[in-house]
Amino acid sequence: MPDDLQVWLAECYPQSVRTAYLILGNRLDAEDAVQESFLRAWKFRDSLSRESSFKPWLYRVVVNTCNSKLRHDIPRREGRVNDVNLVDIATNDDLPGRVALSNDVMCALRDLPVHLRVVVVLRYYADLSERDIAIAIARKQGTVKSRLNEARTRLALHPALRTDASRVPATSKEVNG
Amino acid sequence: MTMIDEDVLINALNDVADTFVVSSEAPDRIVAEAAANEPPRRSHHVPTVISQPSRGRAYLVAAALVAVIASISVPLFRSEGNPNRAVVHGGPPPFGTSAQKLPLGGLKGYSAPLAPRPGSQKGATITASGAATTSRGATSGVTSQKIESNGSIALAVDKGHVGAAFSSLNKLATSDGGFVASTQANAGSPRPDTFSYGTIVLEVPQRNFARLVAQAQRVGRPTSVSTSSNNVTAQYVDLQAHISALVASRRQYLVIMTKATTIDGILAVQSQLDALQSQIEQLQGQLNVLSHETTYGALTITVSEVGHHAHKASPLSGFARAWHDSVKGFFAGFEWLLRLAGPALFAVLTVGGLWGLARYVRRALRRRRI
Repeated sequence: MPDDLQVWLAECYPQSVRTAYLILGNRLDAEDAVQESFLRAWKFRDSLSRESSFKPWLYRVVVNTCNSKLRHDIPRREGRVNDVNLVDIATNDDLPGRVALSNDVMCALRDLPVHLRVVVVLRYYADLSERDIAIAIARKQGTVKSRLNEARTRLALHPALRTDASRVPATSKEVNG
Repeated sequence: MTMIDEDVLINALNDVADTFVVSSEAPDRIVAEAAANEPPRRSHHVPTVISQPSRGRAYLVAAALVAVIASISVPLFRSEGNPNRAVVHGGPPPFGTSAQKLPLGGLKGYSAPLAPRPGSQKGATITASGAATTSRGATSGVTSQKIESNGSIALAVDKGHVGAAFSSLNKLATSDGGFVASTQANAGSPRPDTFSYGTIVLEVPQRNFARLVAQAQRVGRPTSVSTSSNNVTAQYVDLQAHISALVASRRQYLVIMTKATTIDGILAVQSQLDALQSQIEQLQGQLNVLSHETTYGALTITVSEVGHHAHKASPLSGFARAWHDSVKGFFAGFEWLLRLAGPALFAVLTVGGLWGLARYVRRALRRRRI
């Protein structure tokens, strides 16, 4: 278990920023949130000794800070311009379809309610298990499962992902029940 | 049900998240800020409470239970069997109205005991001289016992003597320091099948009430006598306390009024003062009524000529009495339900409020945990 802030930052800062970015949809907000999260985590590091795992605990801080920003800070100010351009992906990977899909996924993600967005990001980007997500959002594991299912269903039904007929068959599957 | 594919979602999220370069300076800034604002080591009390949800929940459940029990029991104890609450400063236990039908055979010379309920009030009686006293009244301190008394007597007199009986009763009232509150008389004719009768209401000071009851019975032949007394000391004390509190509030507002500088402030204080004054006058009115009732006892005397049964109630048969008791019981049960509904509603609202508050606090603490 890391006990030094620099170790924490080296291990978790980049992924935390990207996770916060996916939740908040803005890089500057994400950096603010993660900075605040690490400071709070460091301040309350005593409570970590009673936690089973460091990573869910840290994500819990990040998620709470993001929720707080979404609830209080962001609605009260003019929107920040997102300076990230997804077209940059094309420079690394010359697949225009992939860029478009990512754009659509991001668009659909933003339209998800926050509680669903958080579990999707934690599961499919931060790669937390359902148990760890339950710890991170302080809910039961069953709640996490149902939220994930609902989020995936909503994403599949989102207009941005449905209209592109060429990709939909590849991105969706039929699940009975 | 259609769901988005997990692999596609993972790839897309990774693509989106990797579109920018994470600043390498930010961690250094965080370290510097953390070092500058190094807080004192966090005490354990907040996380401890939160990290043991069952313990916190137990506290909340215990608090809710206490609130429920208190909210149900207190109003019930206050309302049920306690219409007249005990006197402050260790006064006697609660007591209610008592009504006593006197035995007809012993009406003459009967000294009406006016103890509200034997055994429930220690020693509050009307003595032979008629003065309302209490063995504990002096020790109760602030307020002596306040007892309101009233009674009714039905007298039968010989034909043609109703007027004389009224005159005698009038004299009795004035000689006892009281007065005639009202009279109502119906004069009959000399024919043998018509009768004269009437009702007179006398009010005398409480201390002379028992004597008046005894004297009034000598005016004619009493056919029924009933007296009742009700201890309203608690109600009296309550009213006095309310008025005192309101007067103190009014005094405070008057002080505030002298310090108010803006028109809005003055108007606001004036509004409060008006409301207070209204309440004080209302309560003072109630107190005056109560004071009058406890100062004077009212005795209603019905005088009728022999052979006239103006108020004779027909005895109920067994079936009718059972029906009467049944209806009475039904309404008593309904009253009980109504009485219980208020505290129950209060309990439900209290529990709901506590539950909401606990939920809010729990969420807030969970957020603060980190």
